[in-house]
Amino acid sequence: MNFFLKKLLIVIPTLYIAWTVVFVTLNIIPGDPVNLMLGGRPASDEVRENVRKNLGLDKPVLERYGSFLVNATKGDLGKSYLTRQPVTKMIKENMMPTIELSIGGLIFGVFFGVLFGIFAGTKPNSIRDTISMIIALCGISLPSFWIGMMLIYIFGTTLGWVPIVGDGFVSLILPSISVGLFFAGGMARLTRSSLVDVLNQDYIRTARSKGISKYNIILKHSLRNAMIPPVTLLGIQFGLLITGAVITEEVFARPGLGQLLLQAILAKDIPLVQALVVYMTAVYIFLNLIVDFTYGIIDPRIRLERKN
Amino acid sequence: MEDLLKVSNLNTEFKSDYGSKPALNNISFNIKEGEVLALVGESGSGKTVTSLSIMGLLPNNASVENGEITLLSKKNKEINILNLSDEKHNEIRGNDISMVFQEPMTCLNPTMTVGEQILEVIIRHKKISKINAKKEMISLLELVEIPDPIQRSIEYPHQLSGGMRQRIMIAIALACSPKLIIADEPTSALDVTIQAQLLELLKKLKNSIVTKTSILFITHDLGIVKELADRVIVMYQGKIVEEGNVLDVFENPKHSYTNNLIQSLPEFKIEKRKQKKIIKKETNNKNIILSIKNLYKEFPVDKGIFKQSNESVKAVQNVSLNVRQNKILGLVGESGSGKSTLGKTIIKLIEPTSGKINFKNQDISNFNRQKMQNIRQKIQMIFQDPFASLNPRKNILDTLMEPILVHKLMKKNEATEYIKQIINDVGLPIESLIRFPHEFSGGQRQRIGIARALVLKPEFIIADEPVSALDVSIQAQVLNLLETIKETYNLTMIFISHDLSVIEYFCDEVAVMYLGHIVEMAPVNELFSNPKHSYTKALLSAVPKVKAKKTNKILIKGDIPSPINPPSGCVFRTRCPNPGIECKGGDIKMGLVEVEPNHWVDQCCAKLN
Repeated sequence: MNFFLKKLLIVIPTLYIAWTVVFVTLNIIPGDPVNLMLGGRPASDEVRENVRKNLGLDKPVLERYGSFLVNATKGDLGKSYLTRQPVTKMIKENMMPTIELSIGGLIFGVFFGVLFGIFAGTKPNSIRDTISMIIALCGISLPSFWIGMMLIYIFGTTLGWVPIVGDGFVSLILPSISVGLFFAGGMARLTRSSLVDVLNQDYIRTARSKGISKYNIILKHSLRNAMIPPVTLLGIQFGLLITGAVITEEVFARPGLGQLLLQAILAKDIPLVQALVVYMTAVYIFLNLIVDFTYGIIDPRIRLERKN
Repeated sequence: MEDLLKVSNLNTEFKSDYGSKPALNNISFNIKEGEVLALVGESGSGKTVTSLSIMGLLPNNASVENGEITLLSKKNKEINILNLSDEKHNEIRGNDISMVFQEPMTCLNPTMTVGEQILEVIIRHKKISKINAKKEMISLLELVEIPDPIQRSIEYPHQLSGGMRQRIMIAIALACSPKLIIADEPTSALDVTIQAQLLELLKKLKNSIVTKTSILFITHDLGIVKELADRVIVMYQGKIVEEGNVLDVFENPKHSYTNNLIQSLPEFKIEKRKQKKIIKKETNNKNIILSIKNLYKEFPVDKGIFKQSNESVKAVQNVSLNVRQNKILGLVGESGSGKSTLGKTIIKLIEPTSGKINFKNQDISNFNRQKMQNIRQKIQMIFQDPFASLNPRKNILDTLMEPILVHKLMKKNEATEYIKQIINDVGLPIESLIRFPHEFSGGQRQRIGIARALVLKPEFIIADEPVSALDVSIQAQVLNLLETIKETYNLTMIFISHDLSVIEYFCDEVAVMYLGHIVEMAPVNELFSNPKHSYTKALLSAVPKVKAKKTNKILIKGDIPSPINPPSGCVFRTRCPNPGIECKGGDIKMGLVEVEPNHWVDQCCAKLN
């Protein structure tokens, strides 16, 4: 498909620009990685030089910039200053927990978001609309660390229904709700407004004039037409999740990309930060592509536009 | 015949925070089996509210206060519709009563194929298997004369033209052979040619399969009423003011409102004017103020970054015309014929691809923006949608003041006095100046649009469908206004319209456009009494008229072709009712020839005649 081919061609320059921006920023901001490596301990100039050499920081900036590019094309994104492990390996290790949490949050968010959205949007300005939207507003505005702690307190400690830490599916429930609630709030509000708009369209009146039941009007005639704005939000928020939810990971003591990035930035671990940024950019582009693809599935007019 | 639907003492109200406003005031009428009843009136008269009350589809802020609507159902049972629950009502909707709406562009679900949308209603009410329903769906498509029905049924609404979509709507309405079809302005959004095709279809249906079906036909167009209906009800401000057989009502209207409605039709006003015109006719030899030579406008088709585009939309093709001082030239044609593009190209709101534009003996086609600024003061435009073309956040004084200050015509206090005079001339009170656009009615807004064009003391006005969005009686008022200001301000005009009767009433000369070409051009009386081009003839015969005798209509087939790939030879040949073999040939070029003094016709048709 011509349209998606064009989109894919944009990936490489985008990644290149993202990486360059990170490289330049990290080299401009004050703070020497060598100092951070040494952890503030006094060290002789010789030791410092050694560390510098080990990290490859003795080479001029432009050379470092160039050699990263060359290595990156071979799939080698460098080694972490801190752990001396290849950064790709570190990312891989932390990726799975993040993906699990993101998908958990996505399922929770979409399910409850769309549900509340339909509930509110099919009867605008009613009591059930108001209540649904207040709940949605809570979902958006309550800080996720507070929600996380409350969930642990109520369901983990007091009621003891679910384990707080550990592996497996059950331990994923509370963190998923914690990240998904924010997601659900946004989805609910957007689904509602989009549905209210669609239900006022002429073709809904036509469907009613055909004697189609309320249930089918919402399911068959409205939802698909109302889904474009929520799908856009879905892409953006899933992107946010999959690049790491630092606070939730911290509260539930889970490993993940958010944690990794935080540590890398604090340690000025340039190769790791760069690799993470490249990874996150790639994820965003990929998700955007999926969102674009979904638009075409939802709306035949968009499909036709792309063909021409 | 038995009464199919009885409406008695129906009162419907709109509720808002400021109290309730009656929309229908004690409406009572009957529809007999197999009858076509027309409901006419201007916007806001309550026609649509009546139909929605019957359908039970009133918006949330409206409700039936009291009254009764009884329907003789398919099982020959009398049902009081207003007592039905929504579920019970759903059994009737689409089955006993179905509806065709006005806007074919927005009335079909964009994410479902048209076939699915017809199938849905069949399966809902007839409860038959999908395979049988599909067969019925295809035969319905054939019934409403959709070519290639199997292929069309898997297409989406946006892939069909407006006329086709309205046929789909009619197929949906016919699907369960209802007792009553309510058609709410089903042809108003379409071109006359397409409207004529649809009216022909409705007539055919009425005389054949659906003899037992009654039609409640809602329209503002009295010509259509005359053509299609048996009986007519005239509504005014939520009340029925007149009811009777179509012929009786038109020949001998009892109520003064009905009389006014008929008298304000352009076709009636033309009569009175014709005498006036003949006296004025000899002063024809005035100076040419605007002259266009071989004007072209082509828009390249965007194919993306990697592809070089060879295709273009050929919007204006080799147009040459002259406009004489103090005359009104009418531009007429279907939508997509290039009339509006031509209008905008003349004042270079759109840059012409090639050709010469001569305004008062200056060639303005090569003028840069700076130089055009002075010309634009002399040539002003009036637009179709006055609401959309007025800034909602500026009051009328500011809106009218702005162009004066931009062109540095006069000082601010001087301008205020001048604007007061103009606003008086267009028939609005001085207080209007401190109001905002949303506080005015459609007709008043168009008066503001006219005032906005006048403040710069133009010599030439291009009016692009200025009355198309207005009701008939308001239309007449605005046309009268345009005529007076034309005289008082000594103006010359190009008047763009798709409405032939308005053109006939208002213009001195007419140019008929088709696919970017002018196919015929003549003084107005000559063109309307002696049309030479097949397209002009078809257009003229397509207009439903109150006074027309029953004549055979010249129908043109299908829709206007794409201006990206216009037909070779004569561009009209694909829809021409009687095309010759000569029209096809590659050596036929479009171009006007003078067949009679001042009467120009495209050479292809000129040869055939």
